[in-house]
Amino acid sequence: MSLNVNMSTLTGAKSTGGAMNALTLRLQDEIFAVEAESVREILDVVPITEVPNARIFVGGLINVRGRVVPLADLRVMFGMERPPADVNTRIVVVEVDLDGEPTIVAILADRVHDVTEIETATIQDAPRVGMRWRPEYIRGIGKRGDDFIIIPDMGKIFTMEDGKPSGSQEGVGL
Amino acid sequence: MSKSILVVDDSASIRQMVTLTLSGAGYGTLEAVDGEDGYSKAIANPVRAVITDLNMPRMNGIEFIRKFRAHQSSAGVPIVFLTTESNEEMKRQAKEAGAIAWIVKPFKQDQLLAVIKKVAGT
Amino acid sequence: MSAADPTDVFRQEARELLEQLEQALLDLNDAPDDRDLVDSSFRALHTIKGSGAMFGFEEVAGFVHEFETAFDRVRKGTASISAELIKVALAAKDHIARLIAEPGKHAAAGEPILEHLRTVVESGVGHVPAPVAKAAAAGAPAAAAHGQSHGRSWRIKFRLPENALVLGANPLLLLDELRELGACEVAVSTDAVPPLDAIDPEVCYLGWDVVLSTDSPRQAIDDVFMFVRDDMELSIELVAPASTVATASAVAPQPSVALLPDINWKEPVPVVEIEKHRETSNAAGKTGSSLRVPAERLDQLMDRVGELVIAQARLSQLAAASDDANLKALSEEIERLASGLRDTTMGIRMVPIGTLFGRFRRLVHDLSNDLGKEVDFVTVGEETELDKTVIERLADPLVHVIRNAIDHGLEAPSRRVNAGKSGRGRVRLAATHAGAEVAISIADDGAGLNIERIRAKAVEAGLIAADAKLAEHELFQLVFHPGFSTAKEVTSLSGRGVGMDVVKRTIEGLRGHIDLSSKPGEGTTVTLRLPLTLAIIEGMLVRVGQGRYSIPLSAVEECVELPTDAEACKSGRNFLNIRGNLVPFLRLRELFKTKAPADPHQKVVIVSAGEFRVGLVVDQVIGNSQTVIKSLSKLHADVESFSGATILGDGTVALILDVSHLVTFGQNFESRLRDERIGRAA
Repeated sequence: MSLNVNMSTLTGAKSTGGAMNALTLRLQDEIFAVEAESVREILDVVPITEVPNARIFVGGLINVRGRVVPLADLRVMFGMERPPADVNTRIVVVEVDLDGEPTIVAILADRVHDVTEIETATIQDAPRVGMRWRPEYIRGIGKRGDDFIIIPDMGKIFTMEDGKPSGSQEGVGL
Repeated sequence: MSKSILVVDDSASIRQMVTLTLSGAGYGTLEAVDGEDGYSKAIANPVRAVITDLNMPRMNGIEFIRKFRAHQSSAGVPIVFLTTESNEEMKRQAKEAGAIAWIVKPFKQDQLLAVIKKVAGT
Repeated sequence: MSAADPTDVFRQEARELLEQLEQALLDLNDAPDDRDLVDSSFRALHTIKGSGAMFGFEEVAGFVHEFETAFDRVRKGTASISAELIKVALAAKDHIARLIAEPGKHAAAGEPILEHLRTVVESGVGHVPAPVAKAAAAGAPAAAAHGQSHGRSWRIKFRLPENALVLGANPLLLLDELRELGACEVAVSTDAVPPLDAIDPEVCYLGWDVVLSTDSPRQAIDDVFMFVRDDMELSIELVAPASTVATASAVAPQPSVALLPDINWKEPVPVVEIEKHRETSNAAGKTGSSLRVPAERLDQLMDRVGELVIAQARLSQLAAASDDANLKALSEEIERLASGLRDTTMGIRMVPIGTLFGRFRRLVHDLSNDLGKEVDFVTVGEETELDKTVIERLADPLVHVIRNAIDHGLEAPSRRVNAGKSGRGRVRLAATHAGAEVAISIADDGAGLNIERIRAKAVEAGLIAADAKLAEHELFQLVFHPGFSTAKEVTSLSGRGVGMDVVKRTIEGLRGHIDLSSKPGEGTTVTLRLPLTLAIIEGMLVRVGQGRYSIPLSAVEECVELPTDAEACKSGRNFLNIRGNLVPFLRLRELFKTKAPADPHQKVVIVSAGEFRVGLVVDQVIGNSQTVIKSLSKLHADVESFSGATILGDGTVALILDVSHLVTFGQNFESRLRDERIGRAA
């Protein structure tokens, strides 16, 4: 049974100037935030169809209510380990802008936390050096309490031609 | 010919245009404002043809045609109805009710006269 | 269809009529003595004039009226049809289209066209062609020999329904109208009149047999019966002049009383034997009632049907796993219904490609004139059907290819004659179904492509290395590369050949493929292959490793076991011997880099695309099912081998194999393999 959460009931308003309305999710040991407005659904893990010869990070396809949606594993982009799914793994279906066209994409998350507000004042640019990941993929880093929250740049991630991070791995991982 | 052509339409301007055109061509005319009015006039007067709109208050064109056809004085009287071009369904209904010809809206005067000449002669 | 703007209705109608007119004029170019074509041109003009007036298009009505007047001599047969006349007539038709599209802006351009028309008609007066009997096409009435001043004779037999008189129909008025068209001989049939005591005075028992001599077109006769058409018996036929009334045609219409015997209901009238005819269908080009539907509604319908098919597949799976006999039976019934619905819906969107071909005739005619090259334009397979959206998107690419063929492909007439060919070039446009695809070919019998020049140009443009070994068809594919052009002269018509890369992109956007083949001195053929439907197909489900894939069933020729010696030998002889033919095969496990261990007995699914075949080696053939094609997201646009995805009965996603691509891949793979071996052996 999948948990289908309709985001419009959870989120109220758009992110206003002062804060960003975000869904926080966990990829390995980092917390990421995705614009709540862009989230369409949150599902339990469903069977994933592997796409041979696809770029690694969009190596899968899933069925969302009769629609065929590509599954992206952002852990690839951030050079993380990709252990198999466990009881906490969820799939977050979002709408991102690809070359001006709104496109539906599913993202694998090791865990979904909650919908929260991140004060824009706390969001800083990602440092150019000293980071594990390519700074182009990150819009900013916010803070909530003691935690750093990474806000990925979805548009850039999905249009980057190169699907292999440093230290490339084979296969989809599930 | 002493019989008239009955014009049934709830629009005064259409009635006026039609009756002027017909009388200009030498036909006698009679006017009615809706289906009920049309029916009472049709059975009370000798009529050589009827022109009727379909969309009218109180009694619409289809009902009027049916009712008139059920009355013996309608025998031999051609009934012409006004319709839009592609409305095949209305044409079918009107013909089933007992109409025999149609004029397509919007129509010009010479088109009106051509149809009347066809079904009722000069 | 209630709120349609009447002006739009007129425009739509006018567009179709103008197309009809254009085709008739082009046909007249080839067959100038065909009176029926002249008549149908007039009919089209007449209708446009009438509707134009009614809907306020005064300019159109006025221009067409003048056009008709000038053209009238042609209709009467006193002026002949020449290529020049057709050219002006076509220009006039274009002008009418402009007047409709932009009223008020083009009026001035009309007069010169009319002047030109009048001049050409004048010069054609007196060259009356000898009447030619039209070849008996299917169902055409026997063509009358054309006496110029008597018009034609028609035999009109009609009988009104019994209740006609009660409804106010007046057969005398019908006869009067016929008389207005020309001299009539009228005979009445009383064979349906019952004995006196059974006669009902309000019933019409009579039938009429009229022979009418008239110049008017057939449409005018049909119009007489316009309102009573539906319920009556009516037949209208052309007759040979021998049975015509030999009186002069310009007889003043006489009142019905004089010619028709008095209709006296109470007295028997001399009986004239006349056959009863069923109402013959109006051959004026109407093919039965049709309906205009906005394209979006069709798309929505397709989506619904697609969802239904998916749900039905899941139902079938559940039923198969259940013990409930009723459920199983019902599931089968629903599968049958869904399949039928799918077929019907797919059919709605299919349109014969002939609609496109018609447009090209005008193009070829104009190009031929402008370039001074005579061209025979042959079309084959007009009835081949394609999805409506595909056809619309094909128009531009095809125009470009045809332009290229005539402009660059065909040589100048003098060169052709010197080369021993006919001075007339030939362009052949053919469409046919082949498996899951439609193949459209454009072949010219011109000079062909110079493959050496192509190679040289490609090297120069940096597309290939100087020593690269490429098969012939690969070299030809380079022509589609952006920026590639071998045309020595850049003519204003075809441009720099930059269009070919756009053509290829458009075709690939339709999930199709384009190929070139050519023989120097003999000609060039461009072949397009397009998927037959864009939405729902029968698919064969196969398993490779853990993944399941769907193969369009119409591309599948057969399935065989992979012989064990082929399995043992990994590289080298990747061929199967199928009844004497060598068919290359691809191991999908290798292509998809599958890790799971292979099944002991591999199967080979032989698929075809065009003339080429390839075997696809899979672990298991699962079965057939209806597949609703879902497009792949942009994110997977770079993945080759798959043309889409589908949702299986158990809810999982399966990829659909792109047969054309795999076949081409197999071909390339195979020719490279062969070259390598030759290289090694040498």
